[in-house]
Amino acid sequence: MQRNCFIRWIFAIQVAVPFAMPATRAADPQLTPEAVEFFEKRIRPVLVEHCYECHSATANELEGGLMLDNRAAIAKGGESGSVLVAGDPNASRLLIAMRYQDENLQMPPAGKLSDEVLADFAEWIRSGAVDPREGPPPPPPDSIAARAKNHWAFGSPAKSERPTVAHSDWPKTDIDYLILARIEGAGIEPSPVADSRALVRRLYYDLTGLPPTFETIKQFETNNAPEAYEQLVDQLLDSPQFGERWARHWLDIARFGDTKGYVFTDDRNYPNAYKYRDWVINAFNTDMPFDQFIKFQLAADQLAEGDDRSHLAAVGYLTLGRRFINNTHDIIDDRIDVVFRGLMGLTVGCSRCHDHKYDPLSTRDYYGMYGMFASCDEKQDDDLPLRLVDKPNPQEVGIFLRGNPGSRGERAPRQYLSFFAGEQPEPFKQGSGRRELAERIASRDNPLTARVFVNRVWGHLFGNGLVRTPSDFGLRSETPVHRDVLDHLAVDFMEGNWSIKRLIRQIVMSSVYRQSSVIRAEAVERDPENLLLWRAERRRLDFEAMRDSILAASDQLDRTVGGESVQIANESPSKRRTLYAFIDRQNLPGLFRTFDFASPDTHSPERPETVVPQQALYLMNNGFVHDAAQAVVGRVDDTDVRQRVNQLYRLVLARDAMIDELQLATSFIESGDNTSPDIPIGNPWQFGYGSFNAESEQLVSFHLLPHFVENTWQGGAQRPDPVLGWAMLNASGGHPGNDQQHISIRRWYAQADGSVTVRGRLEHPSENGDGVRARIVSSRDGLQGEWIAQHKTIETNTSTLAVKRGDTLDFLADCRDNPNHDSFQWRVTIRQSEGSEGTTTADWKSERDFQGPHAKPLGAWERLAQTLLLTNEFLFLD
Amino acid sequence: MLSRRELLTRSGMGIGALALSHLAPEFASAAAPGNPLLPKQPHFPVKAKHVIHLFMNGGPSQVDTFDPKPELQKRAGESLSDGNLKTERPTGALFASPYKFAKYGESGIEVSDIFPHVAECVDEMAIIRSMHADVPNHEPSLLLMNCGDARLIRPSVGSWLTYGLGTENQNLPAFVAMCPGGYPIQESQNWQAGFLPGIYQGTHVDTKHTEIEKLIENIKNDRVGQIEQRQQLDLLAQLNQRHLETRQNEAKLEARIQSFELAYRMQMEASDAFDVSREPQHILDMYGEGTQARQILIARRLVERGVRYVQVWHGEGQPWDSHDDIEVNHRRLAKQCDQAIGALIKDLRQRGLLDETLILWGGEFGRTPVVEMPKKGSNQGKINGRDHNHWGFTVWMAGGGVKGGHVHGATDELGFKAVEDRVHVHDLHATMLKLMGFDHEKLTYRYAGRDFRLTDVHGTVVDAVIA
Repeated sequence: MQRNCFIRWIFAIQVAVPFAMPATRAADPQLTPEAVEFFEKRIRPVLVEHCYECHSATANELEGGLMLDNRAAIAKGGESGSVLVAGDPNASRLLIAMRYQDENLQMPPAGKLSDEVLADFAEWIRSGAVDPREGPPPPPPDSIAARAKNHWAFGSPAKSERPTVAHSDWPKTDIDYLILARIEGAGIEPSPVADSRALVRRLYYDLTGLPPTFETIKQFETNNAPEAYEQLVDQLLDSPQFGERWARHWLDIARFGDTKGYVFTDDRNYPNAYKYRDWVINAFNTDMPFDQFIKFQLAADQLAEGDDRSHLAAVGYLTLGRRFINNTHDIIDDRIDVVFRGLMGLTVGCSRCHDHKYDPLSTRDYYGMYGMFASCDEKQDDDLPLRLVDKPNPQEVGIFLRGNPGSRGERAPRQYLSFFAGEQPEPFKQGSGRRELAERIASRDNPLTARVFVNRVWGHLFGNGLVRTPSDFGLRSETPVHRDVLDHLAVDFMEGNWSIKRLIRQIVMSSVYRQSSVIRAEAVERDPENLLLWRAERRRLDFEAMRDSILAASDQLDRTVGGESVQIANESPSKRRTLYAFIDRQNLPGLFRTFDFASPDTHSPERPETVVPQQALYLMNNGFVHDAAQAVVGRVDDTDVRQRVNQLYRLVLARDAMIDELQLATSFIESGDNTSPDIPIGNPWQFGYGSFNAESEQLVSFHLLPHFVENTWQGGAQRPDPVLGWAMLNASGGHPGNDQQHISIRRWYAQADGSVTVRGRLEHPSENGDGVRARIVSSRDGLQGEWIAQHKTIETNTSTLAVKRGDTLDFLADCRDNPNHDSFQWRVTIRQSEGSEGTTTADWKSERDFQGPHAKPLGAWERLAQTLLLTNEFLFLD
Repeated sequence: MLSRRELLTRSGMGIGALALSHLAPEFASAAAPGNPLLPKQPHFPVKAKHVIHLFMNGGPSQVDTFDPKPELQKRAGESLSDGNLKTERPTGALFASPYKFAKYGESGIEVSDIFPHVAECVDEMAIIRSMHADVPNHEPSLLLMNCGDARLIRPSVGSWLTYGLGTENQNLPAFVAMCPGGYPIQESQNWQAGFLPGIYQGTHVDTKHTEIEKLIENIKNDRVGQIEQRQQLDLLAQLNQRHLETRQNEAKLEARIQSFELAYRMQMEASDAFDVSREPQHILDMYGEGTQARQILIARRLVERGVRYVQVWHGEGQPWDSHDDIEVNHRRLAKQCDQAIGALIKDLRQRGLLDETLILWGGEFGRTPVVEMPKKGSNQGKINGRDHNHWGFTVWMAGGGVKGGHVHGATDELGFKAVEDRVHVHDLHATMLKLMGFDHEKLTYRYAGRDFRLTDVHGTVVDAVIA
């Protein structure tokens, strides 16, 4: 498109300074076979490849009035006269341009063609410019503006008459009639209504993003009342989870993120970004009219009445994009993009460097909008996301020629897009003009706003929009098959006071929505892509719905609505709904990308749907899923194996297990080793307490410290614990219990056969008390050393000890006689050597390796629960 | 590590094995439309299949490495009469290279003595001494070198190639970006997928670590043993098969079934690929010691296993950014990687892999031949370093169809600015794509109403460096 701009520029100059060249008419050349072959092999391919894009009847926008389609067209020349003088290459402007001789006339603009091509053209012209392409000049292509006037999406939508249909008992709503008529016209039968279970799941996920429970489905299946479906729809639309689900769809549009991206060493967090997210949730839940919803997001500061600050967060729509290292031009470009692709399906951003190649959008339009945003200051309040306020003196900017800020052209007035503004575009009068822009977009006269939004809603409910390019409704967007449905809904949406809940309700109440997803061979033959909508699409849960469902099945889901963003990709992921995840757009964790999360970097019209092994790896190996599997099993209370399996099925898949599934599961449980391994996998340390027999020099007892609080293993939530007293262990040391039954014990498991040596330093920092006693005890060979540290630091080293895999070394610290002033630091390193060679194989460091609750291995039941969470049935909607 | 067959045998899950038999990977991969990483053909047939990009982040100095300037040595201490070209910081007089250059190989190309091992391979290398970029700052130059645009959200070269070619080994990430210690400046934007689907983004690996679970996310399972996991997947296959039976012709269901088997194999394959201790001693000796040696050897193991694009960053931050003490710093940095880079080229050659692996060495820009003036808070009190230089710098390529023993272009007599056969970063990208089988104007992706390409509206292929 930059190239297009260049062409336009050249021709502008050309027209201004017409060539003095006489329009010589070429003599009719002789069409010898050699000459024709030369043309076909050397000339025509070059014309097609390098010139036709702008100089033919198939050009999007004809440049300079010049067409090269046939002999007559070339002879006719362009707006500035003849281009070809047969027999005289040096007088032919066609070749002059191709030779880049004249700096104002260089074709093709992308770069000079090779010397061979130029020689061919010179030879061709010299020998009479033989051109076998007969016929009169073709009619020039319509201009973009002319085509735009007839473009399906640029005229006002209208409702359609209800057509007559054969299956008159099938339609439930207006749109059903329109769709059915077309399905019948293609000779296809509509699909029957999906089974209750599929329908309830579909509704739950589409309206709330969460799964229904077994009981909910059962209730619906047994409810024969005709209004049962409708009641369920209303119940879900009224639930707070509705707003959460649909807010996340909108956040994709708004390229929402909690951070600014790379901004050198500045603070990267956007303060209060989550308040924009919460504002959106609330807007959906309160069914804020969509026109109002838009106006607040563009100009809440100018719509607020009195001191009302409740909608000021809405402008986060504009402000919460990437900061592009604080480059103003790019920040404004991003805002223009999010406004026009997001709300009107127009790629206005394409006009940054040159007029749009396909749509009636000019650089003047773009820089009018640029001027509007440049007339705003940013304001950071303590309690709101970044917002915009109009500058006292709004400004116009000169058009950046070829997008270059250093090269300015005429000033672009701040006004609405000229093609869509009607006869006489009026410059904005109020401040920057944001409010006036908002009024223009959120208007019943706008042909795009309602259509674009209705199409997005449709896409979320059917898997595909009626228009397959949801953020580009320009001239290259195809007229949708069901254009009448889109238009009907768009008009009805506006007539219904832009109510989103009403729109969604209308669609999900339809027969077309309730169809089964079964693929019928005879229908596939006629409409393989299901463009006519003779069935529902089988759909995969998106990232949020999948993760929320795992939390829901395991009853771990925290259903709190709104609030600050939380971490979900760290060691202890939050149990809140996934839409509350903190979005760090600079280093978005792999988890999000793996599951096709919308890029927070730019407006996202739709999410890709990939199937890659990294998704499976997460589900197989991540602790989040393991914890969920264990929590699911924690909900199972029956003791009978078959009953337990059935309970698992109900919790995870919301249905009873079939007989053969019971058998599979039972044999899985029976063949699975249901005991946890003795040796911890991965990290060999354990943290406990116990007692020691000084006479036999053996450990008597060892129990794990049950609580982990603030990086410390201890007896209870508080210290001292009523039973275990002060016994505690942290990374660098700890505190013994209050007597010899509660010695603090750090235990290490040998991972392999070999020999080890221990190096350690024990410190008793207090100046009071009688200090602590340390012992190292081997499970194989008993006591290996005993030391007392009192107000000082000592070394606790051992000689080389032989160990076998599974042996333990225990590091005991007791309080001696006085249980006070006994905090200690004890850092030890165990160096393990293997085999007779004695090569060092591993170092274990007590401080480095210290960790909180060790993840518990999954038992057979838990592995079964995890397997159910991994099934296609869990992840796909019929 | 047990093979899958052993596991199946040992776990006694004959039924599971049977249920999986129709999903043998050779056949199943062709029927997996949901996987955008399956191998694809480029525009025209070429030998090159993989890229290893050795990224000397921070900006290595050309006059101290691969662009000898006798005139600079002669005129050291002199001030330029026309003034210095504008770079990021104030600069002063001409500053001679502290290193010696010597001729190597049959081509007799001169290389500085801080890269003796690389120099031995000079007959495999095409050295472009006339590179230039747009601005003398790290952030935009990194993005330009990696993504073809200094600021905007654009896919990285590795993402483009992964999009264009898919990958040959579904058990490993297609695009790996290794950086010991953390991130370079601009962080993961350097290997971003931009507007391409997120799956084309580079997988960051912190090669400071040696444990596989710290290198690849979710690759290890510490709560389900291998045998138990195999049992789980066998049961899963049976349950999914039952589900599929009533839902015929659903490619995406089948694709997901297969993805679990791919993931299962990936656990083994990735552990193996990143474990250099499995190399024989003579190979370990060849690459040498240290983090650079390890990660460069890993790079070879990855391309050997079919990984499409491997980026090897020298380290977190901007290690090559020698604003001061350049003599010590450049020597130290070169010593860290020289032996391993030389070993990489020779090793690939001896394995017959060099022709199918394109190696690119370079930074985001070069450094000035004039000395940088001291500045409070950074190189205070030091007058022995060089500033950033986007006017002229050097990169070299080897393997992958590159013309060996070749020097392309030149900087001025002092090494400041590219003057002869200038190669912009866009031109380098166009050339890399050509070597990988693509017309850079035709590898496009439709986004926001427009067909985007790596080189935007720029780029001319440098045919002279192609064999």
